[in-house]
Amino acid sequence: MHIPDGFISPQTYLPASAVAAGLWTYAARRVKRDLDADTLPFLAACTALSFVLMMVALPLPGGTTVHAAGIGLLAVSFGGWMAFLAISLVLAMQALLFGDGGITALPINALAMGFIGSFAALAAWKALGRWNQTIALFLAGWLSIALPALLVALALGVQPLIAHDAQGAPLFFPFGLAVTLPAVVLPHLLVGLAEGVLSVLGYRYLTRLRSRLA
Amino acid sequence: MTELRYRIIKPAPAQDAAPMLEVVGISHRYGAAEILRDIGFAIRPGEKVVLLGCNGSGKSTLLKILNGLIAPTAGQFHFQGEEITPLRLKAPALHRRFRSEVALLFQNPDAMLFNPSVFDEIAFGPRQMGLPNLDDRVRHWADLVGVSQHLARPPFSLSGGEKQKVCLAALLALEPKVLLLDEPTAALDPRSTGWLVDFLGGLDITTLTTTHNLSLAPELGSRALVLGEDHSLIHDGPIQALLTDMNLLAAANLVHTHRHRHGNIEHRHTHVHDWQ
Amino acid sequence: MQRDRIHLGLYLAGVLGATLIHAPAWLAAGLALVLLLSGRDAASLLRRAVLTVLAFNTLISLSYLGMAWWQDAFTQAPSPWLTLLRLNLRVLLLTCLTFLFIARTNLFQALDFSKSLTYVLGLAYSQTLTFSRAHDDFRLALASRSLTRPSLIDRYRASAAAISWFIEKSLHAATQSSQALRSRGFFHD
Repeated sequence: MHIPDGFISPQTYLPASAVAAGLWTYAARRVKRDLDADTLPFLAACTALSFVLMMVALPLPGGTTVHAAGIGLLAVSFGGWMAFLAISLVLAMQALLFGDGGITALPINALAMGFIGSFAALAAWKALGRWNQTIALFLAGWLSIALPALLVALALGVQPLIAHDAQGAPLFFPFGLAVTLPAVVLPHLLVGLAEGVLSVLGYRYLTRLRSRLA
Repeated sequence: MTELRYRIIKPAPAQDAAPMLEVVGISHRYGAAEILRDIGFAIRPGEKVVLLGCNGSGKSTLLKILNGLIAPTAGQFHFQGEEITPLRLKAPALHRRFRSEVALLFQNPDAMLFNPSVFDEIAFGPRQMGLPNLDDRVRHWADLVGVSQHLARPPFSLSGGEKQKVCLAALLALEPKVLLLDEPTAALDPRSTGWLVDFLGGLDITTLTTTHNLSLAPELGSRALVLGEDHSLIHDGPIQALLTDMNLLAAANLVHTHRHRHGNIEHRHTHVHDWQ
Repeated sequence: MQRDRIHLGLYLAGVLGATLIHAPAWLAAGLALVLLLSGRDAASLLRRAVLTVLAFNTLISLSYLGMAWWQDAFTQAPSPWLTLLRLNLRVLLLTCLTFLFIARTNLFQALDFSKSLTYVLGLAYSQTLTFSRAHDDFRLALASRSLTRPSLIDRYRASAAAISWFIEKSLHAATQSSQALRSRGFFHD
């Protein structure tokens, strides 16, 4: 889902930055209120965890691998705002420390994966968790990949419409929605399955660990 | 019962035998950082060699190159005369032979353990080899390292020392010719360290063991390779000669100087502190 | 103003600028300027940037050419070549700019107006480096122990073992660093 720099127009990333900045400020305040003294180390740990989860290859039958992100797992285990901040920090580290992924894509990715992904997962968990934990967790993981992929596909696919020169040639991402929707969303419906499994198993393991530590 | 290939009494390494492992002018860089500089040595069958160096001198990287996991930036590594690189190991026959004959014990045992039980962990190698008498084989190696009471347990529930023993058993169950060990005593308490030293000493097998623990080095082998802080090989020879060469040891950052007070006399000398 | 913060400001301005200009000549001039600024590292910087964007940009460029050929667009006014030249120059410029920024700037110094942000970023970064090394070891250990290509179930088990290890280590790290913070009085000043 990583978009490199140079494919997103300023007409897109500037407003997205403004929205993201507002949400980051609010999230920082919320998270601080909920957790007080332990907030910062906990946020750092969530960030490192999410970073490394994106590195772990999850094998698919047939020899290919996909990379999950742990968005659903983080949101369900530690709350939507915490997950949003952790994912945003991962993206910022990747862009500004490791040179991987772009700074202009950061606000869009943060809003898509961090914000929409986390809160979609949380909504699924809150709505269905009491009825069937496993299904709720799986759906939380799947949604946390599928919805952001849809958003990123939309953000990319509208670039030719909003950023083109006088003759109609695209200035940034050159393909429209007819291309981006299937090309970006369809593979991520599959990646979402791995993310769903990660949410189910990861949540169980975390709950067991926490009860042992408590 | 499985045939016991590693006996407690071992023959002296043959001086004229062809090298088991041969490293020729290996250098390695990672991005801008130099990790290894022009390393060369050969290890004969049955030799017990210790690789000394301070943290960050490139010991782990060298072992990974010798296990065919990383391709060095320059230079060659030969196993029994055959050049080994990750690319060449893509050939299934060579891959299978090399992986069953050269085993690497990682510094972090957790990195190696992923099977549902200790039994499956030890059986992992023999199963791939299609070796007969799996049950006996696993029990034999579990007995030898002393983890047979844990066979049904998941490996992650064991203590650090027990995990290390399971890893050892899992590697030895393939009956390799060469065992590479990366800081095997770093996570062990003194009793387990003593056990490991005795155990490794009893194996009739070529070993290359890394450590930054100078006082333990003579227990782990008779020949020492020393990586300096400049990532080059600054010593290759009998370990006893090394231990008296304080200048060399100081250059490798394996000893340090600091002030001592005895009563009201203060003096300064070079000196080893081994910590776990 | 300290140096690293100025760098951050210049970098963000540069990024904005590189997305506001559209003439390939100016984008190329920008790229030349960035390479000039990087001095002796220019060649390695450019090489790394090309390698970083190669896969994605090749895919995009070839698909675009394919689409243009299909729609018979080569003979019409906005040449597909121009579009691709502009796109790839811009991506390369931005990537080089980012690499130059990373090489020349201490991000932690640049962000030191917020103690909490620098602290979280520093802690997360150091833990991430430890985790990446451990992740390499998990991957290499499975390769080292496998005589044949590992089966799907073994690869699942190896991934699960790695993930559990990372979850456990991060929970422990969080507990430990909050204790360290308390003992240093971080929360009282």
